[in-house]
Amino acid sequence: MIPIEELKRYEILADLDPAELKFLSGMAEVTHAREGEVLIQAGLPARTLYILQEGNLMVAYPDGRAITFHKPGRLVGWSALVSPTRYTASVTCLTDSTLITFPGSELLRLVQRNVAMGTKIMRNISKVLSRRLPFLQEEDRQRLRKGR
Amino acid sequence: MGGFSAISAGNGWLIAALGISVVFFGLASLAFIITYFPRSIRWWNDHAQTPKYTVELLRSLFSRRKTEATIRADTGEGHEPGGLDDVEEALRLLTSHMKEPFKLPRLIEVAEQRGLARVHSTINRLLVKGTMVGGADGLFRWAKGSEKEGPVASKSKESK
Repeated sequence: MIPIEELKRYEILADLDPAELKFLSGMAEVTHAREGEVLIQAGLPARTLYILQEGNLMVAYPDGRAITFHKPGRLVGWSALVSPTRYTASVTCLTDSTLITFPGSELLRLVQRNVAMGTKIMRNISKVLSRRLPFLQEEDRQRLRKGR
Repeated sequence: MGGFSAISAGNGWLIAALGISVVFFGLASLAFIITYFPRSIRWWNDHAQTPKYTVELLRSLFSRRKTEATIRADTGEGHEPGGLDDVEEALRLLTSHMKEPFKLPRLIEVAEQRGLARVHSTINRLLVKGTMVGGADGLFRWAKGSEKEGPVASKSKESK
């Protein structure tokens, strides 16, 4: 369980009200990963959504292109909320890192049950996606278009 | 002799208490296993689903231990043997064989194959320092002299 105040710090959750954050804090957990550890493997079933709390990450796409994250609050593993829930990129820790994890299935259920909250979360995720769109493969883009 | 006296004579109360305890601890253990079962399944799905991934994970753990031991032996407390400049030079040499801009995952892969120590954290330091920069196209290159202006990380759209 993560305190609500901690979750509120992150841009992606900033517009959620305290009651909504309480739901999320109940399912959130902190995980630690070592330098060089592969957190997410492209192509595998996406079961966890991560928010970077501390550390540095590299998101590598199957075509070899990559982006790096060095600031807290960066989101990885958004595929856990988008059908067919398979990771589109691999994520590796550039340094020892701490991340907040959300189980994808529980989060998806919450989003489907609570429409207002779901809309806010999905809107924030779509902002992240729009920035990463140039890196996605054509099949992933089509998948997103179908999901809309 | 019959009834309660027969139970007492045959240690029936003790046996009954023992039976209750066995059933209680059995059910408590079962409840504990059921509670943690979803968590272990989630861990298995996330971390150990493919044998290849597990092998890679074990190999990375082993190589990290070896690296840390080498660092302690070579430098006492240094981040990598020879310092950041030496590793930077080695990375520049490796990228000279690749065309610039280069693919960062490929550079990491090649550097690890060549046995460079702490490749990930070294590259991170170069990115944060602004010595290596990421482009909006997801490719990386070495910064020109005038570009080194402090802690600028990946200049991809994501870093906005």
